[in-house]
Amino acid sequence: MASAASALHMRGIGKVFPGVKALSGVDLAVRFGTVHAIVGDNGAGKSTLMKILSGAYAPTPGTIEVAGTEVRMKRPADAQKLGIRMVHQELNLVPDLTVAENIFLGRMPRRLGFFDRGGMVRRAAAILAELGAAIDPQQRLGDLSISQQQLVEIAKAYAAEPRIIVLDEPTSSLSEHETAALFRILRKMRDAGIAIIYISHRLKEVLDIADEVTVLRDGAMIETRPASGITAAEMIRLMVGREVSNVFPKTPSTIGRQVLRVRNAGDGERFHAISFDVRAGEILGLTGLVGAGRTEVARAIFGLAPLTSGTVEIDGAPVTIGSPAAAARAGIAYVPEDRKGDGIMPAMTVRENISLPVLRRLANRFGRVRRGAERELAGTYVRKFSIVPPDGERRIGLLSGGNQQKAVISRWLATDPKVLILDEPTRGVDVGAKAEIHGIIGQLVANGMAVVMISSELPEIMGVCDRVVVMRDGRASVPLAREGLTEERIMALATGEESAEGEAA
Amino acid sequence: MTDIAAMGQTTKDTARFSQGSRMVGLVSRAGLTLAILAVILYGSLANPVFFTAGNFVNVLMSMSIVGIVVVGMTFVLVVGGMADLSVPATIACGAILSLALQPYIGPVPAFAVAVLLAGLTGLVNGVLVGYVGINPIIATLGMGTIVLGIVQAAVGGVIVYGTDPSSADFVKSRILGVPMIAVIFIAIAILGNFVLSRTFWGRWTIATGGNYSAAQASAVPVRAVRAGAFVITAFAAGFSGGLLGLTLQSARPLVGQGYEFSAITAVVVGGVSIMGGFGSIPRAMAGLVFVQLLTNVMVLQGVRTPIQGFVLGLLIAGAVALDIALRKRGVA
Repeated sequence: MASAASALHMRGIGKVFPGVKALSGVDLAVRFGTVHAIVGDNGAGKSTLMKILSGAYAPTPGTIEVAGTEVRMKRPADAQKLGIRMVHQELNLVPDLTVAENIFLGRMPRRLGFFDRGGMVRRAAAILAELGAAIDPQQRLGDLSISQQQLVEIAKAYAAEPRIIVLDEPTSSLSEHETAALFRILRKMRDAGIAIIYISHRLKEVLDIADEVTVLRDGAMIETRPASGITAAEMIRLMVGREVSNVFPKTPSTIGRQVLRVRNAGDGERFHAISFDVRAGEILGLTGLVGAGRTEVARAIFGLAPLTSGTVEIDGAPVTIGSPAAAARAGIAYVPEDRKGDGIMPAMTVRENISLPVLRRLANRFGRVRRGAERELAGTYVRKFSIVPPDGERRIGLLSGGNQQKAVISRWLATDPKVLILDEPTRGVDVGAKAEIHGIIGQLVANGMAVVMISSELPEIMGVCDRVVVMRDGRASVPLAREGLTEERIMALATGEESAEGEAA
Repeated sequence: MTDIAAMGQTTKDTARFSQGSRMVGLVSRAGLTLAILAVILYGSLANPVFFTAGNFVNVLMSMSIVGIVVVGMTFVLVVGGMADLSVPATIACGAILSLALQPYIGPVPAFAVAVLLAGLTGLVNGVLVGYVGINPIIATLGMGTIVLGIVQAAVGGVIVYGTDPSSADFVKSRILGVPMIAVIFIAIAILGNFVLSRTFWGRWTIATGGNYSAAQASAVPVRAVRAGAFVITAFAAGFSGGLLGLTLQSARPLVGQGYEFSAITAVVVGGVSIMGGFGSIPRAMAGLVFVQLLTNVMVLQGVRTPIQGFVLGLLIAGAVALDIALRKRGVA
């Protein structure tokens, strides 16, 4: 295997959109049989670069060489013909088809002119086995977990026998355990001579998997280095152009009365006998592998799904929550995990997105929303959380992920909640915004809010939370105090290597 | 669709992209105004009758009855409820009852009862769509059939005539030369615009249509909002039917036939998204004006009815295709 051969060479790549220079002078060289990571803040130009590589945009100026030959890609099909495959953060799969059908979608194997189902299933099984993924090719895709679906997406790209695979934030919905499995697969593909371009916000993973790292900032290429010659701190410095001393600042706060108390909560299906409490000024972490039931617990407490057993108390009084509106009245707020799906109304402005749960309060007796009061409310949060651009009249869909997230958090703070449940609040946001969001959470608890934070990122959980509850298969551990807690201990609880009946905090 | 091709259409949060599409959006908005002007210009040149006060009053009259339905239908489309196909039944309900009940309870109570019963139909539609979760097309088609059946059975399937000439005089009266029906229509359109663009309910409607689960997670009572759009449409259609009955002084069970199609055409041609989350009453009104003027010109020019239908069908298909294209480009 010619591991030193050039798979891709992009030279002097630029791209100008009306009014904005998205990329300029980017050089990227990727060799076969290597994993090349691309890191950068949101807006650094990663997605534009990838769209150029996928044939969706044409570079102006710049040249692209694939395997030493200069190519011109006018449309995505051209890139596919050249053996370039993309695996997106959002999965492009059909839930009602089987795994095998998804893998061969659009390229169904044929025999004597007829669709060859047996052959397709055999080939899918062979590919999955080759990748070491324990998935039945005849299963309906929709019945798989998100992480398994992610593997199917990768198998689909792999089945097309690509020369170059581009993965965009492939681990954003995976737990650490599943990430390790994914990396085994990526290493196999790399060893088979495929060039892998790996885009991620998770620097630790980048160091783990990548052979080389390219840092982008503000549409320009900052540096390419071997992964062995760079640390996470250096990458952050190159990405943001400044030192970030502490990615997870922990603001000290005084812990007060018990605010939320959940006892024996269950939905009869996804989680059972969940008990925990959160006190004013406290951040309770809720972690575990994806599929452990963390989000389901949060959605049920917030009234988006029914609880079939157990009780929820706010300030010592039992509450019945049948809808998010009832939860809001009870003082519970929830920032969902899936920002695009459950968080934002992309076509509405930042102002309209923030004011939504408190619109009635902002309306006069004829139901007319008082624009001035609404503007003021939105403006307050835009300033307070430095939402960029600082314009409440901007459509929220045009903002970066981090700024969208700040707006969604603002929406709930406007309801003046007692408990704020944050579900993966920093997923898919860049390092700068991540630190800002952690800062916001710190401020909130300093002012006496009770916060539940769901996160798959152990450093985040360890850095931010006062106590941690680990979930596994729908059951929760007792809350564990942060002191003396290690990532290894959490992983042991999450994977079931240690029984959940640990000592109480 | 391959994944790479799909990526080319993923146009979410790149600020640069909005620049180009804002221009596209502007063109799409100005386009309708230009189209209206073009029809007026063509009509004026082609037919001496077109640009006369009498003709415009005629257009305004015929526009008013369907226009009231358009106001309601806009809410249905914006909330993501696709369409209300029970409109012919609710119009018939309004028309027949407002005439048939006149001898018993007097014209004004008759009108009120007619509109209320039509609204009740909308409530059932709303519960079926919003709370039970039945597909709106099926739910409203079914409800429409049931209500029409009940109305027909109640009046014995014959034509009902008006018995109170003063009510007929009222709807035929004019204020400063403007027909009373048009005045009522304009008032309802202004009210509808106020609700949709200025009140919390309107905002909830747009949010629910834009992203149902996000609206739900933002404490918007999404089921009630969805149901509400159908209640509003049924009230509008019942009201419109009542006025139609009073104007004609007679009503048959099939009096409302075709109004659902005309209303949907106007809303869609106005650029209100069939996928929900985007649209306004002024847009729908622009669509209505365009379609009505175009129809008027075709009638004056003696274009045969099948051809007229063909043209309107093309308009709908074109408007929907444009809507989808704009959505993909992140405009709508």
